Amino acid sequence: MKKVFLITLFLSLGFLAVVKMEAQTTAKLVEMCTKSAGDDATYLKDFVVELEAAGSNEKPPVAKFSMVLSKNNVYRFTVCNAGDSEGKAVIQLFDMNRLLGSSYNAATGQEYQSFNFQCQKTGVYHVFINFVDGKKGSAVGILSFIKTL
Amino acid sequence: MFNHNLIDIVKNTCFILLTISLLFGCSSEGKKQDALQVPDSVINEGILEISNEAMQDIIQNISSPVEIAAKIKASGIPFSKKYLAPTDKVSSYNTNLQQSIALGIFGADLGYLNMYNKTGQVLDYISSIKKLADYIKVGQFFDFSTLKRLATNNTNLDSLMYISVHSFNQMDDYLRKNNRGNLSALIIAGVWLEGVYMISQVATDYPDPEMSEKVGEQKIILGDLMLILKNYSKDPNFTKYLEDFEKIREVFRPVKISYEMGEPEAVEQDGMLVIIQNEKSIVHITDEQLALITKTVNDIRNKLINN
Repeated sequence: MKKVFLITLFLSLGFLAVVKMEAQTTAKLVEMCTKSAGDDATYLKDFVVELEAAGSNEKPPVAKFSMVLSKNNVYRFTVCNAGDSEGKAVIQLFDMNRLLGSSYNAATGQEYQSFNFQCQKTGVYHVFINFVDGKKGSAVGILSFIKTL
Repeated sequence: MFNHNLIDIVKNTCFILLTISLLFGCSSEGKKQDALQVPDSVINEGILEISNEAMQDIIQNISSPVEIAAKIKASGIPFSKKYLAPTDKVSSYNTNLQQSIALGIFGADLGYLNMYNKTGQVLDYISSIKKLADYIKVGQFFDFSTLKRLATNNTNLDSLMYISVHSFNQMDDYLRKNNRGNLSALIIAGVWLEGVYMISQVATDYPDPEMSEKVGEQKIILGDLMLILKNYSKDPNFTKYLEDFEKIREVFRPVKISYEMGEPEAVEQDGMLVIIQNEKSIVHITDEQLALITKTVNDIRNKLINN
């Protein structure tokens, strides 16, 4: 019985250590991505994303977040992949239903870690984060404030 | 013999299960928070009119303590302590709802102080925020010692700003995920209210069409904020806050907002992709409307902070 107890205890501690490490890794990724947004960027919000691979004939999974952005402000959207992420993350900004900007141009294959958005209309906007080719992956998106126009 | 063994097995199984539950309850970051003793009155279940998922959609980043402060500073307006809420009444806020709205108000003030690098005064505000966060059992997300060190050393001001904003995001996230969205809603309402208070006071002290427009555009954000607050309208303790924000909405009602359509443009500047939005929101606000908004916001904000 003691053996069973010790094994259970050992497995529980191992599991907890993994959970704690994951939390620390995420926190570090958020901090690192905030720094990579640039010295001129003031952190506003992070979007932590972990998505499974898309199944065959399925649309790639997308994580969605909504926020209010204000007129005459410049915001920066930055995306950083976790070290062990299989897929490359793409961050996109939508108005009600129109794509405004993306960190990846599928037509040209051009990738950006960040893009700036010069907001001229106060309102609700939506950030979508997905992984190229619907691969499994984990990433962090950062919304930063840059300046007022 | 069989009965004796059975009792032993049951005892040992119970002991293992208890140990596991204690371990999982105490060591995982998320579960540790669940183990906190939260009064029943704070937990808000079963009265939401829209789904939690929809709430999540609405509630993200509705108002940031940074943006309004940045606007004020960018306009060349000097720092003034008179725009800040006094911290001497913190101990007299004795309900979780009062504490939450005050937490939001002081959070906006902290954003203003950080923006002007007023580290000397930051200490007073982070101490008050820590107290309030502890009262509503989210103090574990507010990294008081690091903030205190950064403020005292007057160095690494970017980190001070980052940890401040990140702490608020974490508190908000935790409250929403633990059926305490009513408190989260009031924190957000507090941040928004203090932001409008500041910008309307500045617009009065330094009249400028851009500042007036900034006040007027809060009508759009208030619409979303009311959606969140109305979710808790069935909670009798929440009603007075809803009534206060309804009064504010009334004075914003005559403000008109029009839109100019346009397609977004993407340009590259110094290697950075820049999206220029050509659709515009235009705020139409008269001096009388501004004066009435300023007065109403001032009265309600002062009533809330003076308890």
